[in-house]
Amino acid sequence: MAALQDDLHPAQEVGELDGLPEPFPAVEAAEAPEATVAAEPGAPVADPDALPLERARAVLAAHPVADGYSGLPWALRRLSWYDLDTGESAVHTDVPRLREGHVGALFCALHLPESLDGDRAVGATLEQLDLVKTVVRAHPEGLRLARGAGESADARHCRRTAVLLGPAGAAALGDSLSILRCLHDLGLRVLTLSGTSWASETGLTRFGEEVVREMNRLGVLPDLTGASPETIRRTLVVSKAPVLCTRSAARALRPHPANLPDDLLAELGAAGGLCMVPLTAEQTGPTVRDVVDHLDHVRAVAGPECVGLSGTYDASGAHPLELGDVSCYPRLVAELLHRDWSESDVALLTWGNLQRVLRGADCAARAAQQRREPSTATIATLDG
Amino acid sequence: MTAVTPSLERARELLREFPVVDGHNDLPWALREQVRYDLGARDIAADQSAHLHTDLARLRAGGVGAQFWSVYVRSDLPGALTATLEQIDCVRQLIARHPGDLRAALTAADMEAARGEGRIASLMGAEGGHSIDNSLAALRGLYELGVRYMTLTHNHNVAWADSATDEPRAGGLTAFGREVVREMNRLGMLVDLSHVAASTMRDALDTSAAPVIFSHSSSRAVCDHPRNIPDDVLERLPANGGVAMVTFVPKFVLQAAVEWTAAADENMRAHGFHHLDTTAEAMKVHHEFEERHPRPVATVATVADHLDHMREVAGIDHLGIGGDYDGTAFTPQGLDDVSGYPNLVAELLDRGWSASDLAKLTWQNAVRVLGAAEDVARESQATRGPSNATIEALDG
Repeated sequence: MAALQDDLHPAQEVGELDGLPEPFPAVEAAEAPEATVAAEPGAPVADPDALPLERARAVLAAHPVADGYSGLPWALRRLSWYDLDTGESAVHTDVPRLREGHVGALFCALHLPESLDGDRAVGATLEQLDLVKTVVRAHPEGLRLARGAGESADARHCRRTAVLLGPAGAAALGDSLSILRCLHDLGLRVLTLSGTSWASETGLTRFGEEVVREMNRLGVLPDLTGASPETIRRTLVVSKAPVLCTRSAARALRPHPANLPDDLLAELGAAGGLCMVPLTAEQTGPTVRDVVDHLDHVRAVAGPECVGLSGTYDASGAHPLELGDVSCYPRLVAELLHRDWSESDVALLTWGNLQRVLRGADCAARAAQQRREPSTATIATLDG
Repeated sequence: MTAVTPSLERARELLREFPVVDGHNDLPWALREQVRYDLGARDIAADQSAHLHTDLARLRAGGVGAQFWSVYVRSDLPGALTATLEQIDCVRQLIARHPGDLRAALTAADMEAARGEGRIASLMGAEGGHSIDNSLAALRGLYELGVRYMTLTHNHNVAWADSATDEPRAGGLTAFGREVVREMNRLGMLVDLSHVAASTMRDALDTSAAPVIFSHSSSRAVCDHPRNIPDDVLERLPANGGVAMVTFVPKFVLQAAVEWTAAADENMRAHGFHHLDTTAEAMKVHHEFEERHPRPVATVATVADHLDHMREVAGIDHLGIGGDYDGTAFTPQGLDDVSGYPNLVAELLDRGWSASDLAKLTWQNAVRVLGAAEDVARESQATRGPSNATIEALDG
C-alpha cells in the first residue's frame, strides 16, 4: 500500500505554481479586513499594501479551499425557509460567500447533535443525507454533489462547490457493516471513529478494526478527531488508506481535548494522514494569527503534506475575528503568505492535501476489493 | 416431477420469450434467519432444495426473468429501518456474487435489458411502511438504494395505514399516509397494496397518480381471506392501470386451508400457546392436531381458479404472479418451489389462455407498471419537490 500512496506524491499533483496567471482579477481595494487587523489591539501592523490579499485571492483561484467540516445540514434543519442562492444571513454558508471565499469543496457533516443510537441514529443520518442532497439539487448553479477526488475536481472546473458527504458519527452505523455499505452507496465518504462501544477510550475493538477494514474496502475515510489516542494509533496501524482528523488543531498551543499532541501529530504525518485545523476560537484562538500559529505548528510537526483547513462553520461556537464565515479564507491565506508560506505549501493546505487523501482512499478501495469480500462480521461475533 | 405433457413443453417455450416477473420472494429473510447473511453457507449457485425454495438453477428451470426480492423485516420488533438496510445490502451482495445470472434492475428498461441478456432482473421491494419509520427522507433513501416498491403495511397497522390483519384504526390511510403515497409517486416507487386493509386499498387507489401493484395477493371472492383482494378493488385496476400478482400461499388461496389454519391456531391457543410458537412443546401439540386433521393441499388448479376469476373482474392487462417463495412454510402441489411456474402456465394453456394472454400475465403487465410509475415520477418532479411533511404535522 505504501507504494500506491507514493504514486500520489502531492508535489506531483499540485505542480509548479510559478506560472500563476497575471494580472489577477481586480480586487476592490482591499478594504475592511486590513482595517480590522490594524484596529486589533496588540496585533502587529499588517502589510499596509493590499498585495497579500490580492495574492491570496489569486492563489485560491488556482487552488481553492477544500473545507473539511461544515455543520450546515443541521443548521438548515432549524430554518423554516432559506435561500442559499442569493445569500442567507441565518447561516455562515451560502453560495455567494462560498464563491467569495474560494471554497471549492465542502464536507457536510452528518453528525447528530443529540446522542442517538440504534435505529434512531440510522434514521436521523438518512434524514441528514437527504437534506444535503435536497439542498444541493436546489442550488445547481452553486453546488454539486461529489463522491471523491475526481468529482470534486470536476465540480471545481464547472465553477461549482463540490459537496462531499461526511463526516458522520460512528453511531450512524447502528453497529452494522451492512449499513456502512448502504451509507457509502448513498454517498458517505467520512466516518468519525468515536463514541461507540467499538471505538472508545480504550481503542478499537475487533469489530472496530473490521469497520476500518470495511471502510478501506469501500473508500470511506476514517476521521479521528475526538477519538482516543488508542483509537488513533490503532487506526493508523490497521487502515490501508490515509486518515483524517477533520477538526483538530495543535494541543501544544491550545489544550483543547480535540486538539492533537505533538507525538500524535508526528505519527499522523508519518502515516500520510491529514490534520484539518478548525477555524474556531475555542480550538485555535480568537485571531487569524492564532489560527496561523496552529497551521505553522502542524505543518512543522506533521509536514506540509499533512495539514488542511476545516471551517467548522454553522457548527456552533465562535470563530476567530475576521474569519466569521466561509467568505473569509482569502484573509487567512493573506496572513499565511505574509508569514512566508510558499504558494505551493498554501496550495497543499487548501486543496492538494485533501485531494491526495481522497485519491488514496479510492486507490486503497480498489486494491482491497481485489482481495476482500464484503465483510459479514457482526459485533456480536467479534466483540460478544 | 410429473410427465412432460405437450402443454408443459409449450409453457416452457412461451416462458423462454416472456419469462416470469415474480412480485415477491423472501430469500433475503431466509438468508438472514438461516445463516445471518453468510451467502457462502447458502450458495444459491448450488442446489439449496434442502433449505430454500430458491436457487439459481431452479429459478432458471422456473422460467423466472425478473424477481422482486423482498427486503422484508418484522413489523413487531424495533429496529426496522436498520434491518431493512441490512436486507437491501444482502440483495446487493447476492447480485454482486452472481453477475452471470442476476442483474440489478432499477427501471423497466433494465428489466428488458436483463431479458435480452438472459439474466434475471433483480429488483427490490420493501414489505411494510414500518421500514421507513415515519420518515419521508428514509423513503427517499430506500428508493436511492434501489427499492422499487413498498407494501404500505405488513401484518400490523402502521401509524398511517391500516393492515388487513390488524384492528382498524386509521380507517384506511391518514393524511400522512396519503402524503407517503404521493411521495412514492414522485419518486417512481410502486405502491404495493398486498397486506393492507381494503379501506387502505381504496384510499391508495383514490390518492395514487401511478398504477399500484399487489405484489402477492389473490382473490377474496374465490377464497375469503383478508390477505386477498375484494372484487370492488380488482374492478378499479383497469382505470388505475395496476396489476394484481396472484400468490400461491395455500392458507390464503384454498378455502379449506383457511379454515384448517384457523382451527389449528385455535387448538394452539386452547393449549396455551401462541399460534406462531415453534418451540418443541408447541410443535408437538400442532403435530398431534395435524395427525387428527390432515392439512388440506392446494394445487396448481387452485391458483389457476384465482387467475380465472381475477381475469374476469380486472382484465388480462392487470394480472401478474407473486409466489411468496421462502416466505411461506407450505406451497401448492406442483408449485413446490421456484421451478414450478411452467406448471401454472401449462394449466392456464389447458384452460384456453392464449400465448399473448400469458405473455401479459408473466412479463408484460409488470414491466408496463414499473415504466408507468417512472413516467408519473418524471411528470411529478417537474412540479413537486421532495416532501418535507411529517406525521406530527399532518396527523397531529
